[in-house]
Amino acid sequence: MKRWKTIRNKENGKEQQGEEPFQALLQQLVNSDDFIQFTYKSAAGLLCIGYYTSLIDGKILHQDILPNIKSLESIHHLHSLIPIENIIVTSDVTKIKDSLLNGHMMVFITKDIGQIGLVRAPVDNTREVSIPEVEFSVVGPKESFVESLDKNLNLVRKRLPLPELKTIEIVIGTISKTKVSVLYIDGIANKENVQTVTQRLSDLEIDQVNDSSYLTQLIQDNQNSPFPQLIDTERPDRIASALGEGKVAILVDGAPHGLIAPTNLFEFFVAYEDYFLNWAVATFFRLVRFFAVLFSILITPIYVAVLTYHYELIPKDLVSTLVTSRNPIPLPPIMEALILELAIELLREAGARLPTKVGQTIGIVGGIVIGTASVEAGLTSNVLLIIVALAALASFTTPVYQMGNTIRLIRFPFLLMAHYIGLVGVAVSFIFLLIHLLRLSSLGRPFLEPVYPLRLQGLVDSIIRLPIPFQSKRPAQSQAEDDKKFNAMKAKRIKDTKKND
Amino acid sequence: MEKKEKQISPFLVFFLIHKIQLGVGVLGFQRDIIKFAGNDAWIIVIVAAILVSISLWFMYVLLNRHQVDLIDIHKDLFGKWAGGALSIIWIINWILLAVTVFRNYIEIIQVWIFPIINVGMISVIFIILIYYCISGGFKVVAGLSFLGVVIPFYIFMTFLYPLEYANFRNLLPVWNHTITEMALGTKEMMLSYLGFSTLMMFYPFIKNPTKSQKWAHFGNLFTMVLYLFLMITTIVYYSEKQVNRYVWATLSLWQIVEMPFVERLEYIGIVSWLLIILPNISLNIWAATTGAKKIFNIKSNKLLIGLLVLLWLFVILIKNSDTIAKLNQISSMFGMGLIYGYVPILTVISFIILKRRRKKDGKVTN
Repeated sequence: MKRWKTIRNKENGKEQQGEEPFQALLQQLVNSDDFIQFTYKSAAGLLCIGYYTSLIDGKILHQDILPNIKSLESIHHLHSLIPIENIIVTSDVTKIKDSLLNGHMMVFITKDIGQIGLVRAPVDNTREVSIPEVEFSVVGPKESFVESLDKNLNLVRKRLPLPELKTIEIVIGTISKTKVSVLYIDGIANKENVQTVTQRLSDLEIDQVNDSSYLTQLIQDNQNSPFPQLIDTERPDRIASALGEGKVAILVDGAPHGLIAPTNLFEFFVAYEDYFLNWAVATFFRLVRFFAVLFSILITPIYVAVLTYHYELIPKDLVSTLVTSRNPIPLPPIMEALILELAIELLREAGARLPTKVGQTIGIVGGIVIGTASVEAGLTSNVLLIIVALAALASFTTPVYQMGNTIRLIRFPFLLMAHYIGLVGVAVSFIFLLIHLLRLSSLGRPFLEPVYPLRLQGLVDSIIRLPIPFQSKRPAQSQAEDDKKFNAMKAKRIKDTKKND
Repeated sequence: MEKKEKQISPFLVFFLIHKIQLGVGVLGFQRDIIKFAGNDAWIIVIVAAILVSISLWFMYVLLNRHQVDLIDIHKDLFGKWAGGALSIIWIINWILLAVTVFRNYIEIIQVWIFPIINVGMISVIFIILIYYCISGGFKVVAGLSFLGVVIPFYIFMTFLYPLEYANFRNLLPVWNHTITEMALGTKEMMLSYLGFSTLMMFYPFIKNPTKSQKWAHFGNLFTMVLYLFLMITTIVYYSEKQVNRYVWATLSLWQIVEMPFVERLEYIGIVSWLLIILPNISLNIWAATTGAKKIFNIKSNKLLIGLLVLLWLFVILIKNSDTIAKLNQISSMFGMGLIYGYVPILTVISFIILKRRRKKDGKVTN
């Protein structure tokens, strides 16, 4: 502290413009204990160095900067001495502040007072690119995003070596100053979509953005809907393919998930692995998933409705099974169902909060012990136990985690309506869900596309997935400027040179 | 014309026309027609469809010339006051149609599923759904109509079961009824086809509306195919005397269906039918609201709420099945009168007035 002051006093006569704010900045900086400053005697007089020790890579500092800097004669010679690119010399105080907070160190000498050299030496302690855990696939690439924007951008750009791939950087959050990148391919993506996304992002009024899911909640069209209207994914290949379809992607610094918009309901049930499998297999898996969703939402409410009001619906062979199983149970079907659904939710929540190893044990203990015991105690029927377990299992088939949560949640209103007015209630809830989905939009594009409005161009890759040559056009929902991916005719032909036998 | 974002593609007119025709009538239209035309009832289904097509053609002639909806046509031809008064007749017609479908459906729920259900309560639930749908705008109403055709289509597959016991000789001899009997039957049949007059309200919401005409006719054709299929199934499955005992012959058809996991399939049918009739009611109420908004120059949703309260009052005030039958009679006559009397006359009047105007304009410019 004292030394700094002496420098200032020495150079008092040469005071330049803009020094006053710089003094104030220094004052502010040295108040933090992890801000280090020290002075050297160098060729050109006193040399001062200052940086946040928590943000600077010690290796770079020791190997590249400190050994070379001693012979510094003028601040403008920094470039020639230090083997680090992009050294800035400036007197702009805000710039200095931002750079210091982004892993730069500052250098200045008594000779060139007012001119501060900024050397970039950030510590890189983000984790290595690893295997996707949420969207795991057996075949296909096994990279997933990490918490660094630069690394994530690198992962995407590696897959799309195009000068047309553009990024727009926006800083969001008054205290977190999170860097957010909007990615799109110029000439393919619709300008209107890019405009909407950047507009919504730059209009955001918030203090902290700690993850991309904050942005999902803040910029989606209907914030009260339980349905997410932006896909979040941890797979760079999925982002790259979405960009190729003319969509817009958002990457957030510090978030291991990217966002894709606009999107539709059906994309939430697309596992990216579908594209690595034969089309017939992929279509079958997708149909299984859609069936699973319907099953998961409807089966318990139907059980409650039928057993509360419509015994006549059950064929007589099945009645005996149901009656024997429900006979000793003192609770009405709705209570029985709610208890079991809640038990499953408890198990899920406990499993999610506990460390992996303990979580598995809880799953087994809870699933088997509580299940069997509650049937034996006569609290629930084993038919319902099977139904609820299957419904829970079915809800976990949804590839996008956020959507899986939604599906588990919307089952409860269905249950209550089923208890209230039986099957009519199930139908009412279902229609309510349909209307809600019809009203939703993603970046102003209908959420139920390509089914409504019906677009054959998108239908080939929605509920079903046809062979890749059939997907020669970009989906209508992204309103791509150039909607042709490749020449379908050429793609369908396989040109083998004829062998001469 | 409406803004482009609000418009729908012309082929959706297929679903809208079909949806608005296929309401609650299809569950029990057979008895009244077979009463008059016996085994020739299927001919009546076709004749009525042809009459509907002619009426659709009239509407398109009128609309294509004006390129606006019915309310604006009235205003253009008859001025603000007289035109407004005439428009109100149509609005009453659409509300009446909505009430008819709504009340009949609730009657079916009462008779078949919940004999002691609280009508006021259940209709409030339905009305909330209708409000949620209509307040989303025309695109949502059209979307629900589309899904309302596509999703419950599996129901019609189940009508293949009764064909196992079909006696196709029931159809013979063809044409053994008098023209008067056939005409009376056709009149009865018309109620099942009614509602397509909402076309005159959603016409400006169609992209390239002139192109949508063929889709409208296809929609009508599709309705006819479904009615024809059900009518022939009924004729070959029941004897004429049996049909007379069933108010809802279509529902009774389901009773023969046996599946390993479900008995009483008509329950599933009636419940699924909600998805078929809800867009129907919504479309009628949407037409009435949009019309009323234009006449009284009100922009807010209060009018929609008002109309829905009115709808609810109608539904709970109509109590027994005699009144419902009377309601069906009235709305059938009213709707028919409007479509076969009013629309052709309006087309002719518009033709004359526009011609005279053109002459006048010609003189002025000369």
